[in-house]
Amino acid sequence: MSERRSRSFYLLSIVFALYVLFLYGPTITIVVLSFQGPNGGMTFPMNGISLHWFHNLWAGIGVPYVVDALLNSLKLGAVVTVLTVVISLMAGLAFRRSFRGQSVLFYTVVASLILPSIVVSLGIALEFQIIDQNVKAIGDTYEIDVIQSGYQTAMGLMTSGLGAHLTWTLPFGLLIMFAIFNRFNSSYEEAARDLGASSWQTFAHVLLPIIAPSLVGVVLFGFTLSWDEIARSSQAVGADNTLPITLQGLTTSVTTPVIYALGTVTTGISFAVILLALAIVVFIQKRRLRHGSDAGKGLV
Amino acid sequence: MITHSRRTSYWQAAPLAAVFLVFFALPLLATLMVSFWSYTGYSIEPALILDNYLDAFDRCIVSLPDLCTTFRTYLSTLKFCLIVWLITLVIGFTVSFYLTFHIRSTTTRLVLALLCTIPFWTSNVIRMISWIPLLGRNGLVNQSLIGLGVTDQPLDWLLYSDFSVILAFVHINTVFMIVPIANSMSRIDKSLVEAARDSGATGWQILRHVIIPLSKTGIAIGSIFVITVVMGDFITIGLMGGQQIASAGKVIQTQIGALQFPIAAANAIVLLAIVLMIIAMLIRFIDIRKEL
Amino acid sequence: MKKDNTTDLSRRQVLKGGAALAGAAAGTAITGFPAVIAAEPVTLRYLSTAVNQSPAIAERAAKDLGIKIEYVTVTTDDVTKRIITQPNSFDLVDTEYFALRNLIPSGNLMGMDAKRIKLIDKLVPALTKGEVAGKKIGDQGTAPHKVMYLEGQNSKKFASSPTEWITLIPTTYNADTLGIRPDLIGRPIESWAELLNPEFKGKASIMNIPSSGMMDAAMVIEASGKHKYGDKGNMTREEIDLTVATLIDAKKAGQFRAFWTDFNESVNLMAGGETVIQSMWSPAVTAVRLKGIACKFQPLKEGYRAWASGFGLPKTLKGKELDAAYEFVNWFLSGWAGAYLNRQGYYAAVLETAKEHMEPYEWAFWMEGKPAEKDIKGPDGGLLEKAGSVRDGGSYDQRMGAVACWNSIMDENAYLVRKWNEFIAA
Repeated sequence: MSERRSRSFYLLSIVFALYVLFLYGPTITIVVLSFQGPNGGMTFPMNGISLHWFHNLWAGIGVPYVVDALLNSLKLGAVVTVLTVVISLMAGLAFRRSFRGQSVLFYTVVASLILPSIVVSLGIALEFQIIDQNVKAIGDTYEIDVIQSGYQTAMGLMTSGLGAHLTWTLPFGLLIMFAIFNRFNSSYEEAARDLGASSWQTFAHVLLPIIAPSLVGVVLFGFTLSWDEIARSSQAVGADNTLPITLQGLTTSVTTPVIYALGTVTTGISFAVILLALAIVVFIQKRRLRHGSDAGKGLV
Repeated sequence: MITHSRRTSYWQAAPLAAVFLVFFALPLLATLMVSFWSYTGYSIEPALILDNYLDAFDRCIVSLPDLCTTFRTYLSTLKFCLIVWLITLVIGFTVSFYLTFHIRSTTTRLVLALLCTIPFWTSNVIRMISWIPLLGRNGLVNQSLIGLGVTDQPLDWLLYSDFSVILAFVHINTVFMIVPIANSMSRIDKSLVEAARDSGATGWQILRHVIIPLSKTGIAIGSIFVITVVMGDFITIGLMGGQQIASAGKVIQTQIGALQFPIAAANAIVLLAIVLMIIAMLIRFIDIRKEL
Repeated sequence: MKKDNTTDLSRRQVLKGGAALAGAAAGTAITGFPAVIAAEPVTLRYLSTAVNQSPAIAERAAKDLGIKIEYVTVTTDDVTKRIITQPNSFDLVDTEYFALRNLIPSGNLMGMDAKRIKLIDKLVPALTKGEVAGKKIGDQGTAPHKVMYLEGQNSKKFASSPTEWITLIPTTYNADTLGIRPDLIGRPIESWAELLNPEFKGKASIMNIPSSGMMDAAMVIEASGKHKYGDKGNMTREEIDLTVATLIDAKKAGQFRAFWTDFNESVNLMAGGETVIQSMWSPAVTAVRLKGIACKFQPLKEGYRAWASGFGLPKTLKGKELDAAYEFVNWFLSGWAGAYLNRQGYYAAVLETAKEHMEPYEWAFWMEGKPAEKDIKGPDGGLLEKAGSVRDGGSYDQRMGAVACWNSIMDENAYLVRKWNEFIAA
């Protein structure tokens, strides 16, 4: 019997390895091609090996405002992540009890997940366009100067763009919260209660520490989703671009491997961030072990 | 049990509700409303006309059995959905099975899982254009095949074809299958599997009678993800199909690009309706909330 | 000081194209402003696609004028969208003449005052009158001279003869044709009809921009003798149906390898050998050549499809930004920028000043179609053409004189987009 297990184990390991190779194929291509020589094109064969394109990337690619877009993505990602964690945590707590309208809310959230992104994006764009038209109309009928000359649009990175991203990250956040709370043993809270803790104390000193590693998962997830999000943002961000949108714009005008250099750099940054997040989780766990608790084993 | 007043739940859920009201419910209403508006090259005007829907289904009944554009587009998108779903299901299930039942230590499992998600941190856009140097006529794969003598002409169908579209879809979406299925599998009580084995079941029988039924939730959730992503996609099909393959999302995007919002909205509503119908069918298999 | 149409305030009109009503007061303030050079540098937000946004030009403008150019990069569709929905999000826009048919009726661009443009009389007649070397060139489609003049500064209608209010001050223009890989084709290509030649099955491409792609297809169909169009730039529904049906047949026969929407895609298709003949833009041909791959912008006997782009000002622009915008436009026409564009294979709007900023051998190569006396270098120093080669298509007069039609937005544009979607879905 154990022999049978090892046979299928090796077979499956090979399948898994092939799958990982498949996953990494494009990434490997990008990394290899980013080392093209100065006359290299976007395809094989390699035309020499050099760091030329990394220098080019550092010098700003020769196309404006990639750095701006990067900063926009970071800012937006940070805000989205914080909001996602807070809102989904609160909502997760709410759903532990039943309340009126919970099914409607739940299905709306799930619907947001499964609706085609372009539909949501178009919807937000139209909603804001209607808002704009009406504000401008009010500005004209009542001749409010500040609207007529100063008002551009309600659409923006932190308004419609933020909203679009939230409709994507919140459902994930909420679903993770459900998974967390479904496994959460509420007897810890009961014990705290019995010892005389107030609700806030129970929340801050019992609940939060236990689910903290899982919250890190929500943070990671939320940031990743926002960072690479393009379909929903495409119509909804307004005047400032996020990085994925700028990248797509770049592919319309850049014909050199500098794009691959950018890809390699972003992959490297991602590695670093994930390692950092892992380190934080391990650190929290070790700290907890040191303090004699065995709560929070496992990631979720 | 801790007794909080029921009202706590309301204000805790309020931010969530507010976000979805403003950024989801209202936009959908706006889309529905605008789908009845009329438009010129540079403006959209409030109206109540059915023209957009009529245009969307232009000559659809009349030209049967020849399919009209809309039907053909949706059929083509559905075809991709089905194929991609099958492939991601098989691969996703296998990988989840491997991760859950054959990897013993949690840390290794975590590391392997992360290994699978790291490629997604490189921008999707860049990853997609990197398929071209791999699969093109002078790309790596073709050059290797010619070099190895397997074929003497480059294989055209590797790129800008149905094959490349499916490849890209599977590449991006398998992870959406793996996560829910692995989640379901990890909650299968191992003693059930042991009991089955003790009763003399072979590996395949255990799979068929114990593991698959208990992973049904994960499979259904994963399927919902994959199907909806493929139905609504416009970037992947466009790029990998050489812009020659239609998709429902691409039609909408072209119209948005031409600032023809009302007809884009009408097509969006149609897409919405079809996706909802598919989901409704799938949802009969599980009750998502309970099974989480 | 509102001039036009703001008195009727029924809700429907108020909602309709709301931005059109905004800022009517702003546009009339031009003539009253003194020509004060601002003490602090003015920043102009310059909206256009990435292809037009050259850091070199911005740098030079900052040096010569003290004006800071801030590029706002968007896709082609978004340029139109921004103009229509957010006219006060930019100070200067670089857009194409064919889009004007949608932009002017929205009322968001104000007519530029011809009196403030110093070199107004030196703008090339190809754009202002539709003539090259005294002869009329093809003006099917949205020829610039048809949409260059407005009846009044904030008018929404085009004037049929020159007035002092100009829609766009031209920046650059060119005559487009098919790009080919002469090394892979191996024989001379002379006609647009070759795009659908079964000999190139699976190796052809067409641009996936409905209006321009449709016109390229029309050039091909007319060249093959199948149909003679009344106006390739403004087709009737039947003509659109015919064009699309021909395209669908070709697609089903496997003629096209892929379509391209972006300039970069066209470069990669050609450079990677995926296609050997396709619609193409001049800078794309240059980019392929810079990789050391033979690529030719092939002159064809039926002529070229031309386009032109120019600077426009939003209605809401006023004050020192307005003055700075006119300064920048005048500077742009004064030669340095024109020479820069000429060297990329485009043509400048004012040829005399550009000539002053080019070396005689450069001028001879790019504009007169003479063999290059020395190696021709691209804008960033890379080698473009070896000494002795001749520019594809020859001289300015030969190329612009052979224009058959101009990029346009047709009356039946909505129908066109729908049929184009059908073509893609086939």
